[in-house]
Amino acid sequence: MGIDLLQGTLDLIVLKTLSWGPMHGFGIARWVQQTTGDVLQVEEGSLYPALYRMENRGWIKADWALTENGRRAKYYKLTAAGRKQLASELAAWAQMQRAIGRIVAAKPAKREPA
Amino acid sequence: MTGSNPDRTAAWRRYLRFWRANPGGDVRDELTFHLESAVEELVANGMPVDEARAEAARRFGDVTRIKSALYTLSEQRERRMARHEWWHTIVQDLTYALRQLRKAPAFTVVAIATLALGIGATTSIFSVAYTVIMKPLPYAHADRIYTYSQRNGKGSMCCLPYGNFYTWQREASDFESMAATSGSRAFTLTGYGDPTPIRTRLATASYWRTMFIPPVLGRYFRDDEDREGGPKVAVLSYALWQNRFGGRKDIVNRAITLNGQPYTVVGVAAPEYVMQKPAEILWVPLAAPAWRFNDFADHELSVYGLLKSGVTPEAARRQLETIDTRLAHEHPHHAYDGGVIPMGIADAIVGSQKQIVYMLFAAVALVLLIGCGNIANLLLARGNARKAEVAVRGALGATRGRIVTQLFIESVVLGVAGGVAGLAVAEAGIRFLVTSPAALPRLADTRLSAPALLFAIALSIGCAVVFGLVPAIRAARVDLQQTLRDGGRESKGAARARLQRGLVISELSIAMVLLIGAGLFIRSSMQLASVPLGFDTSNLLAFDIVLPPARYDSSAKLEAAFTQIEQNIAAIPGVRSIGQTNTAPVRGWGTDWTAFREGSNGHDERSTDANMRGVSTDFFKTIGLPLLRGRAFTAADGKNSARVAIVSRGLAQALYGDTDPIGKLISNGSPDKPQWMEIVGVAGDMHASGPAQEPPHELYMPSAQWVNGARTILVRGNASVQTLMPSIRRAVASVDPLLAIVGAQTMDETVQQQFAYPNFLRWLLTLLGGTGLVLAAVGAYGVMAYLVSQRTHELGVRIALGATTGDVRGMIVRQGVQLGALGVIVGGALAYATTHFAASMVYGITPRDPITFAVVAAVLLIVVAVAAYVPARRATRIDPLEALRAN
Repeated sequence: MGIDLLQGTLDLIVLKTLSWGPMHGFGIARWVQQTTGDVLQVEEGSLYPALYRMENRGWIKADWALTENGRRAKYYKLTAAGRKQLASELAAWAQMQRAIGRIVAAKPAKREPA
Repeated sequence: MTGSNPDRTAAWRRYLRFWRANPGGDVRDELTFHLESAVEELVANGMPVDEARAEAARRFGDVTRIKSALYTLSEQRERRMARHEWWHTIVQDLTYALRQLRKAPAFTVVAIATLALGIGATTSIFSVAYTVIMKPLPYAHADRIYTYSQRNGKGSMCCLPYGNFYTWQREASDFESMAATSGSRAFTLTGYGDPTPIRTRLATASYWRTMFIPPVLGRYFRDDEDREGGPKVAVLSYALWQNRFGGRKDIVNRAITLNGQPYTVVGVAAPEYVMQKPAEILWVPLAAPAWRFNDFADHELSVYGLLKSGVTPEAARRQLETIDTRLAHEHPHHAYDGGVIPMGIADAIVGSQKQIVYMLFAAVALVLLIGCGNIANLLLARGNARKAEVAVRGALGATRGRIVTQLFIESVVLGVAGGVAGLAVAEAGIRFLVTSPAALPRLADTRLSAPALLFAIALSIGCAVVFGLVPAIRAARVDLQQTLRDGGRESKGAARARLQRGLVISELSIAMVLLIGAGLFIRSSMQLASVPLGFDTSNLLAFDIVLPPARYDSSAKLEAAFTQIEQNIAAIPGVRSIGQTNTAPVRGWGTDWTAFREGSNGHDERSTDANMRGVSTDFFKTIGLPLLRGRAFTAADGKNSARVAIVSRGLAQALYGDTDPIGKLISNGSPDKPQWMEIVGVAGDMHASGPAQEPPHELYMPSAQWVNGARTILVRGNASVQTLMPSIRRAVASVDPLLAIVGAQTMDETVQQQFAYPNFLRWLLTLLGGTGLVLAAVGAYGVMAYLVSQRTHELGVRIALGATTGDVRGMIVRQGVQLGALGVIVGGALAYATTHFAASMVYGITPRDPITFAVVAAVLLIVVAVAAYVPARRATRIDPLEALRAN
């Protein structure tokens, strides 16, 4: 079973992926799929509008380069602004995780006797 | 990540991207790569190709929708980048321009200084023009206020009789209000320092309603104060209040003494009411006496009307004319019906001064244009020197448009820098003009205002276009290969030389126009200065004495006091003779009134306007005015003797033609109540209103028979009259120590003051013309020097072949003079076509005065010859061998 991704989460995943180095769109899609063990099902096409939006915001930068097989592909890499964005999204993610973790672990409070 | 075999399409597209981004292609390539990679992966895992394609497409999602979303996103990006790039380019060009200008400091300083002077001068004259001509008048309904005069054959009569005015005011329904003011005479203010004459205007109470600006203090007159025998009230001008009364607020409702009588100050007028010097004036009610309502003869009042809104000036004029026609019918021997001329208040105030302002504006603009010509010349020369730089930029891929923009931005930077520096010049110029003797209404209010700033900005950029665009386009039209091969050295300069010659000819012709303008004014003032005034102004001293009516309450007392003063002064050693009059020529206007002979109705050919002068017996002798016929007045022409008069030659001619006027009767004032006087003499004409005006008609009466309490005393000395002043003061004080001597001045000084404004204009135009000439000469020199430098080789050959230095110099100077001659022809034609605008501003010459044209042409040719001679001499000094090696 796959899980549909939220828009904001997709940004975080792409930024995180690119933090290891430049990669083309297909590579990003494949890497996400492999890392998550096919749990997160990204509809591959929806990756691209996210990439373009992030490029417009100046978080990532695109350049054409040749792949190992000698084919032209558009490579994306993080900009300084993108690194900052990644850091703040990670922090937000951690906060959210803790909050959800507490909710999940919570036990019902004792009720006052009537 | 590197490969050896990039596919062709992409390479081709990459090439395209060099020119322009191709977002559509990029999106397609990217998605194609993705899908193909996915298919390859699936096939590698053992899936058949067809199935793999379907699977890859399924995983990808809706390709068409995503593609269109990506197009939109990339277009947004491209647009933002284009904007960014545009700014970046401008900033880059500006930086580059500044760097280039810093590298040529001499050029930059000369260009900016030229522009600063030109733009500054033009902006200051613009500020004057704006304030004097364009700025709306301060009155509440200025667009509906008109002044009215009566048509008089060819022109207009300035003023209207009381009868006409009051009938108009009563009956003309097209007007919200109508007002009248009468002349300006001096009232003597006492009690605040020395007795001082203050120019005073008589105004109807409606004057303040018709031309309303709220008072600074108190109020204006009321209708019940504007009647015969009404309370004596006065309104002070703002400057009078500030300067004489220290701006004290408690002046309102206090009494001040004018002509020995108490007047209550009711208010202080808004400063805007005074548009011309002197600013210290006051207003008192016109308070027309009853008999004036039936006076249809004496043209005395300036009339203003405020039209009701929606009434056309034309309709109002017809209404007034209808009334005039009826009045002429009712008073056939008096009222005049020649038509009414309305004039908008703005035109009436600025009047002929408009032309002077426009002329000055044209003059400074022309100087600026010559300056721009010089800068264009310098830029052309620089453009040549920078050929290599431009060629390299071109070779590196800059388009011609880009290079033109770049070079033009340098000009704009120059223009703006010149403009900013010009603002300081403009501010100084305005201060100078405001304190100058120029008699322009509202001149004192001139500021470097917002419109002037806008004007300066527009002018700066305009100048940049004028001097920068052509050199920039030319510089960018560089033959790349040729220039690079030459290593940037000059190849063919023929086209540039042609352009430079054209520029210099334009500069010279503009200078010609300017100089002819200045020349006309110089000639005109020479003509004016050579006009004999009709009397002798040398060693003639004049001053005013006013006997306060409170203490000198009878004509006998007045006459006795003046006689005593005259005798005391006559006894001073060095005084040759002394005369008295109510107003002296040139110093002040005469009292303009109607003079007529027997049988006249006051409007026919038996009557005419004339100045009335009451004069003492020695007046003619003292002032040096010749008596052409008959006799002067004598002591026998006393108060109780037969009434006698002397007429000027012009008045005699006007009323009696060629017949001898001696013994004829003449009268002044109203034909209803003639005061007949027998003419005993004819005096010469004199330019009593200044040399530029025709001599007015003069009617002289013995001061014993036409007694005035305020007189001008004229003293003729043997030598310098100014040294006599202390003795004269003592002589006057011995008669009455409280009397003030006012406005003591030699007649020569008074006449000089008359010339102050025309002299100032002449000086200013000469300055501008001279500046234009110098700039044009510098331009001519620059071009000649360039042309000579181009021909160093050829000149060397000529000299080597035996031409003398004289031959060579002559040849170069001749070429310079040819340029000058073209400039003279073009400029002369321009001047010939335009100077008639100055017809009303010059005196004694036509605006196409051949002498002026000839002298200016000669001056210009000589200057150009000199400008050509300097480089010619330098060129012929070079060793011929050196010159031959120059190429």
